[in-house]
Amino acid sequence: MIRIVEAGVRSTVQDRGRFSHLRSGVPPAGAADPFALAAANALVGNAENAAGIEIIGTPFRFTCDDSRVVAVAGRDVSLATRSRLSGWSSAFVRAGQQVTVHGGHSTRFAYLAVSGGIATGPLLGSRSSYLPAGLGALLGSGDALPLGDADAGPEGAARRIEPTSYDGRVRAMAGPHDDRFAAEALALFFSATFVIDPASDRQGVRLGGPPIAPRAGELQSCGVLAGAVQVPRGGAPIVLLADHQTTGGYPVIATVIGADLGKVAQCVPGEGVRFYRVERDEALAALRAERGSLEGARASA
Amino acid sequence: MKPRVVPFGEGALLVELGDDFQESVVGWARSIADTWETIFTFGPAVPAYTSALLRFDPLRLAPADAEKSANDLVARGQFTTNAGNKLARVVEVPTTYDGPDLAETAERSHLSVGQLVALHTEREYTAYFLGFMPGFAYCGRLDPRIVAPRLERPRERVPAGSVAIADGQTAVYPLASPGGWRLIGRTELTMFDPSTSEPVRVRAGDRLRFVPL
Repeated sequence: MIRIVEAGVRSTVQDRGRFSHLRSGVPPAGAADPFALAAANALVGNAENAAGIEIIGTPFRFTCDDSRVVAVAGRDVSLATRSRLSGWSSAFVRAGQQVTVHGGHSTRFAYLAVSGGIATGPLLGSRSSYLPAGLGALLGSGDALPLGDADAGPEGAARRIEPTSYDGRVRAMAGPHDDRFAAEALALFFSATFVIDPASDRQGVRLGGPPIAPRAGELQSCGVLAGAVQVPRGGAPIVLLADHQTTGGYPVIATVIGADLGKVAQCVPGEGVRFYRVERDEALAALRAERGSLEGARASA
Repeated sequence: MKPRVVPFGEGALLVELGDDFQESVVGWARSIADTWETIFTFGPAVPAYTSALLRFDPLRLAPADAEKSANDLVARGQFTTNAGNKLARVVEVPTTYDGPDLAETAERSHLSVGQLVALHTEREYTAYFLGFMPGFAYCGRLDPRIVAPRLERPRERVPAGSVAIADGQTAVYPLASPGGWRLIGRTELTMFDPSTSEPVRVRAGDRLRFVPL
C-alpha cells in the first residue's frame, strides 16, 4: 500500500489513458503530461501502462508499507526524504519512510511513480480517473492505495531521464481544418505569442492573444484528440488535453505533436507559448527520441 | 466535397466524407470506424456525422501506411457493416414530459404542449453517434414541426436524465453538465454506468423510442 499523508490540491490516479470507449463519449483522461508519467514509470522499472499519481498542488507526502523505488517527473519538481533529490531520477525508499513531492511556482502537474504501479481496480480498461463520470476519485489525506508487486532494491536508485525543457516552444502540425482559415490567420497562429488563460484545466489550455478567426461556414462535429488546437468563434484557441470531449464542433487549425503535449499542458497562467510548424516526419522523430530515452532508462534497470 | 483523408497530428487521420448531414453518410462513417477498429485493429476510431477519426500508434504503423489503408477504405465507396458491432437495438426511454423549456418550445412552434409531446414520441429515432459526454447519443431526426435552435444562453447545470431537443435532434443527458439543448422532459433510465463492461445504454446505430409516462 501507499499511504497518503498530504494529498495536494487535486491529485488523482492516472495511467496512459482510456482509449477503448472513445466512441461511447468517454474522454480518454490519463496524464495531462504523458511523457512525464511515462518517464516516472520507466525510472522505477514499471510497464508502460502502469498507473501513477498526477499531483496538482504540492506538497504531496506519502509512505509505502514496504520498500519501493519511487520517482517524480514534471515541471520543476523534486523529492525529499532525509535529503532533497532532483526530479526525473529514481530513489529507493524504505518501508514507512516519509517522502515529500515538492514543486515550484511553475509546477502545474507532477507525476509520482512507485515501483509495482498503483494497483487500483481498472474501470473500462484503465485506471485513469475521470471525475465527472465517476471514474476514480479525488485523492485525500489518509487514503491508502494498493501497489502492484515489485522487487525493489537500492540498486534501482539514481537512474535518470533527461527532463523535458518546458520552454513554451511547442511544435505543431497544421490541420486537419487549416483550409478553413485564411493563409494570414494560419501564419499568425504560427508566429504569435499566446498567453495562458487562468481558466485552463485538464480539458484544455485556453489561450489569449490575437484572434485567429476561421472562415465563415458550418462545421459538423468530428472526433478530436489531445493536442488539437480548436478555434471557437471568438478566435481564442484552446489546446485540448487529456479530459477533452471525444467530439468537437470547432475547426482545428493545428495539432500539437505528441512529444510536445506536456510542454503546453504544463504552462502556467500568464505564461507565453509559441507554436512552431513542423511536418509529420519531425513529429515522428521527436516521438522516437522520447521512446529512446524511456528505453534507455529501462535498460539500466 | 469529395471524401478525403487528412492527417490529424502524427498518430491519427480524419476521414471527411462530406459537408452536410445525410443519414446514409452517418452509417458510412460508422462503418469505416468499425472496420478500422475491429477488422484492421489499427487503433480506436471515433465516428461522427460525416467523418471518422482513425487513431493508430505511429511507432508501430507508419503513418503513410495508415493513410494508404484509410484511402483504400474510403475508395470502396459507401458501405455499411456490422463489423464488431452488435446488432442494433431498440431502446425505450420512459419519459416524464415536464421539462423547463417544454411550454416555450411548444409555443414558438405554434403547438400545444400535448401536440409537441405527441410529435416527439411518435417517431423512432436513430442514434447517430456518441460524443459531448459519456453515453450522450445524438439522435434524429425530429419532426420538422418541432425543430428549434439551441438556447441562446446555455444552462450551467442540466440534470442527469434530462430529455432534450435541439436543431432537429434529440438526446438524453446521461450526467449532470452544462448544456444548451432545450429540456422537454426527464427519464429515470440510467444512460451511463461505468461499472459494467458495456457502459452505455444507447450505442451508435441503435433505435430510440420515447414512451410518455
